[in-house]
Amino acid sequence: MAANYWASTQRRHWLFSREKLADIREALWEKDKVAHSQFPLPDQRLLNIYFNQQLIKLGKRMSTRQQAIATAQVYLKRFYTKNEIRQTSPYLVLTTAFYLACKMEECPQHIRFVVGEARGLWPEFITPDVAKLGECEFALISEMSSQLIVHHPYRTLSELETELSLATEEVALAWSVINDHYLTDLPLLHPPHVIAIMAIFLAVVFKPAHPVTYPVTAQSALSGSLMSEGSGLQMLAALSDKTGSGPPPKIQKLIGWLAESEVDIKAVIECTQELVSLYEVWEQYSEKNCKELLGRMVKSKNLDK
Amino acid sequence: MGAIESVESRRPGGYTSKVRVRDRYHIVGFISSGTYGRVYKAVGKNGKKGEFAIKKFKPDKEGETIQYTGLSQSAIREMALCTELSHANVVQLEEIILEDKCIFMVFEYTEHDLLQIIHHHTQPQRHAIPASMVRSILFQLLNGLLYLHTNWVLHRDLKPANILVTSSGAIRIGDLGLARLFYKPLNSLFSGDKVVVTIWYRAPELLMGSRHYTPAVDMWAVGCIFAELLSLRPIFKGEEAKMDSKKTVPFQRNQMTKIVEILGLPRKESWPGLASMPEYSQLQSLAAHRQPSQYHRGSNLEGWYQSCLKNGGYSSTSSAGTPGTDGFDLLSRMLEYDPTKRITAEQALEHPYFTIGGPISGNCFEGIEGKYPHRRVTQDDNDIRTGSLPGTKRSGLPDDSLMRASKRLKE
Repeated sequence: MAANYWASTQRRHWLFSREKLADIREALWEKDKVAHSQFPLPDQRLLNIYFNQQLIKLGKRMSTRQQAIATAQVYLKRFYTKNEIRQTSPYLVLTTAFYLACKMEECPQHIRFVVGEARGLWPEFITPDVAKLGECEFALISEMSSQLIVHHPYRTLSELETELSLATEEVALAWSVINDHYLTDLPLLHPPHVIAIMAIFLAVVFKPAHPVTYPVTAQSALSGSLMSEGSGLQMLAALSDKTGSGPPPKIQKLIGWLAESEVDIKAVIECTQELVSLYEVWEQYSEKNCKELLGRMVKSKNLDK
Repeated sequence: MGAIESVESRRPGGYTSKVRVRDRYHIVGFISSGTYGRVYKAVGKNGKKGEFAIKKFKPDKEGETIQYTGLSQSAIREMALCTELSHANVVQLEEIILEDKCIFMVFEYTEHDLLQIIHHHTQPQRHAIPASMVRSILFQLLNGLLYLHTNWVLHRDLKPANILVTSSGAIRIGDLGLARLFYKPLNSLFSGDKVVVTIWYRAPELLMGSRHYTPAVDMWAVGCIFAELLSLRPIFKGEEAKMDSKKTVPFQRNQMTKIVEILGLPRKESWPGLASMPEYSQLQSLAAHRQPSQYHRGSNLEGWYQSCLKNGGYSSTSSAGTPGTDGFDLLSRMLEYDPTKRITAEQALEHPYFTIGGPISGNCFEGIEGKYPHRRVTQDDNDIRTGSLPGTKRSGLPDDSLMRASKRLKE
């Protein structure tokens, strides 16, 4: 429930092991091998970056808050564990996820307005008929078994802000790391508090020399130091075998807190690695490429009709 | 993966339900209707056992054909919350079926509700609800409410019609159509729905135009329900002032007057936030019109309570028993003007009214002679028998307020 992640549908129904998630995707692929070879798509994370950018564009025009965008991204992930992307119109699905997430996060937008805005952005993929969105909403809710309440790491971050005496800059950077984790499978693999702690850890350890003022993504701020140094990762790894030579004093407090808490340190490390590999793959990102491949798929298969 | 099959068999993005209501349930009759749609009684089919209440949300019609127009925010909230919640004193959801552009929420069937039980005690003449039954009802209701509040859910529409009672005497809080999460909402709670809670059960801070309301609004409603269980009448039975032509929310003068008549005027000294309430000047004008004797009079809740016990025949020697002085103390703490001082669900459950005086049954009918009539189920789909009574119909803005805003513009 809202206060109780442990009893939530998110934990009971939407938390997968890596192996399970791989099996699910394998099964989807088995069902439609032909489409897979006919319509190659970029790495899922690159697609996620593209979808996220589209959602931000859509949200910006309606001044939507980040949390609704985050919820929409989680809805997309959940939906695509049950449906092969090549059988859907991704633009319709992401617009619907956005529309539904806004209602759930208490910042509702009228359906006509959302369709109008989406048409403004992707006129060739969104029809003016609001019934399409309404129908897709049924599909989305049904595939998610009406489990629409999403727990986000942002809350843990704000709860720990004071406890760990985080600087404004660190909170800003951790917030951006959380934004970035929606581009990976992490929301389906780990509970939100583990993600939040990973984000705080990265922010504290890799606090960039130049102040960041709430960047949309932490990629630019972090990727350099993450990939070149790796010292933070070693430090984090040292936490799991408590024989390490001891961290610098500035993160003493964080480490003390982590050691006392019952947080799964291994999971935190795994999340960090996932972020590192996201920032690596990000180098290959091309908006144009994603747009073209998706466009070709949607048009050839008449998915927008 | 039925969805994929349906996607393949139809057009991409098309939606076909995997489950059909008629394959799983046999509709026995019609129970009630509201702004959201209709509720039907049903029994399970094809091996599915039990009785159910199916709430069908009506889709919007455009001309003759039913269209997908996007679900109301109220429906979305109720679906999401009911799916997430699980507690012995909150109505149990069986499943949700999305079919033919409609939503069917299938709940366990409850034979009674508090409105019907209170009504039964006024027929053929008034006879009090036994004190032990009131105590069990209230305890279970608070237990369910504590669960909701602990999970950051405000119910916002507690009233006798929404408090369901199973045939084995278990209380279930129902109708979460106005409920919502209150953990750091993105928009203030005020901006979503301008009016909440049926007028008779509406907390004074809401009547005073508060924008930052809290779980205390639900506790006020519980206080009103407690009083109504004892007196068999709504304690503050005001008349609702309708929205004016500009669609602004008016000050509910009559409702506030009903409260003041029993509790006296709220005072800045005991309710420090009062003077900063949006409707404070309205309250002052209300005070100016009152007789000086009434103006200076404090709360008369105790007088109300004593005459209620007397009229109901509640006493330690009567068969009805008595809620006693502890009952009064608890009631007065629920009907506290200042929401920050009002008793919480957690504190109420620890109150002497419950902790002293023996065990409380989880079956509110335990030891009660006589039976309550079954819920009325009709074959007439157009029955709007209770549809327009203030106690049974929600008076808030249950649906997507933006939808209303656009309607308003058209008007």
